[in-house]
Amino acid sequence: MLVSRTILMCRTVLMRKTMLVGIPSLLVAGMALASGEHGSDHTSVGSADIDRTIRVEVGDMWFDPQGLRVAPGETIRFEIVNAGSLEHEFVIGDTHAQAAHREMMQEMGGGHDMHEMSGAGHDDGMGSVTIMPGETAELVWTAPDNADDLQYACHIPGHYEAGMSGSVELQR
Amino acid sequence: MATSSITPPSVSRRQLLKGGMALGTAAALAPAWATAWGQSSGPGGEHGNIYANGIEEGPEVSLAIRRESIPIDGQPARPISINGSSPGPLVRLREGQDAVLRVTNLLDEPTSIHWHGLILPAEMDGVPGLSFAGIAPGETFTYRFPVRQNGTYWYHSHSGLQEQLGHAGPLIIDAAEPEPFSYDREHVLLLTDWTFESPMTVFRNLKIAEGYYNHQERTVADFFADVRDKGFAATAEMRSMWARMRMSSRDIADVTGSTYTYLINGHSPGDNWTALFKAGEKVRLRVINGSAMSYFDVRIPGLTMTVVAADGQPVQPVPVDEFRIGVAETYDVLVTPDSDLAYTIFAETMDRSGYALATLAPRQGMRGQIPERRRIADRGMEAMGAHDMDGMDHSGMDGMDHSGMDGMDHSGMDGMDHSGMDGMDHSSMSGMDHGAMGGMAAEREVVNTNGMLAAGQAQPGSRYDQAGIGIDPGERRVLVYRDLMALTPWPDRRAPGRELELHLTGNMERYMWSFDGRKFSEVTGPIHFAKDERLRLILINDTMMEHPIHLHGMWMELENGHGELIPRKHTLNVKPGERVSALITADAEGSWAFHCHLLYHMEAGMFRVVQVA
Repeated sequence: MLVSRTILMCRTVLMRKTMLVGIPSLLVAGMALASGEHGSDHTSVGSADIDRTIRVEVGDMWFDPQGLRVAPGETIRFEIVNAGSLEHEFVIGDTHAQAAHREMMQEMGGGHDMHEMSGAGHDDGMGSVTIMPGETAELVWTAPDNADDLQYACHIPGHYEAGMSGSVELQR
Repeated sequence: MATSSITPPSVSRRQLLKGGMALGTAAALAPAWATAWGQSSGPGGEHGNIYANGIEEGPEVSLAIRRESIPIDGQPARPISINGSSPGPLVRLREGQDAVLRVTNLLDEPTSIHWHGLILPAEMDGVPGLSFAGIAPGETFTYRFPVRQNGTYWYHSHSGLQEQLGHAGPLIIDAAEPEPFSYDREHVLLLTDWTFESPMTVFRNLKIAEGYYNHQERTVADFFADVRDKGFAATAEMRSMWARMRMSSRDIADVTGSTYTYLINGHSPGDNWTALFKAGEKVRLRVINGSAMSYFDVRIPGLTMTVVAADGQPVQPVPVDEFRIGVAETYDVLVTPDSDLAYTIFAETMDRSGYALATLAPRQGMRGQIPERRRIADRGMEAMGAHDMDGMDHSGMDGMDHSGMDGMDHSGMDGMDHSGMDGMDHSSMSGMDHGAMGGMAAEREVVNTNGMLAAGQAQPGSRYDQAGIGIDPGERRVLVYRDLMALTPWPDRRAPGRELELHLTGNMERYMWSFDGRKFSEVTGPIHFAKDERLRLILINDTMMEHPIHLHGMWMELENGHGELIPRKHTLNVKPGERVSALITADAEGSWAFHCHLLYHMEAGMFRVVQVA
């Protein structure tokens, strides 16, 4: 059902910090659910092909949510808001392929958009977009039918290491 | 969407986000701050390790200072202890607290504690004769100040040469707001240099003969090797130049491994102090150089270190293989060891005369490989701003950027032997590496109408893209000052209203160290900052050694060419021949110490008082 498809892996574990802000956390979950209800009408992919929209917030140096569950073959429109003061990337796809890209970027000293230099497009099922501070970007990505290890991450040198990654669980 | 239309997330929103994230990985572990420094407590609560110098949790802390027998490197020693250990316990405060720190002096001489890098009222800064009278034997002094910052800092005696006896410890302030990075576990690594000689003896030896601890003087064999590599004329020229300047080209450090045992958390390499991790965890290492005289080059072969804070202040993350840490600096790095292996934390001294070592391992009793030692660095023309001696090329003179040269203030050479400088053959200047010179002039200079460089611009004569002597930038990724960038601009974005230039000066053979050629005892009054003025401090190093320059009470914003994303530091390393600048907001009323943090340089007179009124 819709709710189980779109629910985020909000780790609302009952611990100190989360307890303090328990109410806002419900609101966030609610927002994410709501955004799943309506499709998109301004993407390169026909809106009929979009299964749902997920809003992701990025900051210095974090993602919210920090994990996703997706269905095999599902096409998702990501709305990615950069709430930080630095440039960030949202790259989604195979974890090992991303590690290879990250190493390459660090060797090159950074400053290159991943999708420009690596053809990280459709062959390896990776999607990526760069978001400037204060801006919102959009990315349409189709989950693979089968994959062992998926994640989303920012590969600007140092950002991944400082905490900018999230897990993607494929629900078969 | 336009930048301006987005408002930053509210505090509660950020709290939520970061809170959720931290829980994702840390839920099963004890809170990071509950783990004793130097004590690796595993997730199951087993206490693997030993060297628990202990934690003193704020806001109220009591510290007792004693002289006692504690073995160091397995040998009898009499360091100064703090609450029974040397170096002292971790003092852990929380941003927003009102700290109450009671320090009791059980020595037979006066003592003090300076809270290095903390912004606090002048009378709480702990410099005897300046902030307060010091703490007399048998007395207790209570420091009280609001804690309004966070990060990795340290504390140490500011009385005489006590710091050399281990009168120091780590000081960590937990952030009130989430930090711009996340981790699963943390360890503190406090680097120190210990000598079994008395500090007064060390100082006397330096006064008698500056090269006393330098067993790395060039030999006749070196001379013939140089002739082979560089030709007779160039070798003879270099030799005579160094002779005229009354220096040895191998004076990398005044005090070396010939007397020092280098320690991590009080432990020698033979002790194999071990910090524990579980494979896949992200580990934060808080590295503090609490040594008296030693710069270290720190690396962990097999692991990339991501630098996330410098001098306690967050910076945009920089992945590196190695970083040089000047005396009194701190760096926070993240590492993610994903194998069940022992990794060696290797801190080689800049002069290559020794190293401190610890192990990062999944369990006790493991050891990593000890990396091959690098050869002794040779000052060569590095001291004059060049990087590569072998690149000697006379035609290079033509391409030399003169604006860069102008930036090197020749008048500042006063502090050194004049006749020697006069005799210096300019042909030897051609040894200056082109790349290095290019680096000096690479900044497109933006000059304000008042004739000063725009705020944040790197000075001509700065070498922020070089790590310094003995580092081969081609070998691995090494942190340089150019890499340091703040995440957001600091509050005061005013351009500097004036410039203040200070030369770092010295006569090495007589072991006299000073600012502007006058040691502290010869100076008549303080340096004046007008309250709340914004000024630019320009430091010009006329000596052939690195100096870590520390300003108490106020941040120095290092103008390394990143405009508003200027990093701020409490201690600035100034390389030989280098010109470095920092912006300062003089918002801290009172009298503050300003000095070289090489202990014996400060003792010799490289010290000034800054008065803000």
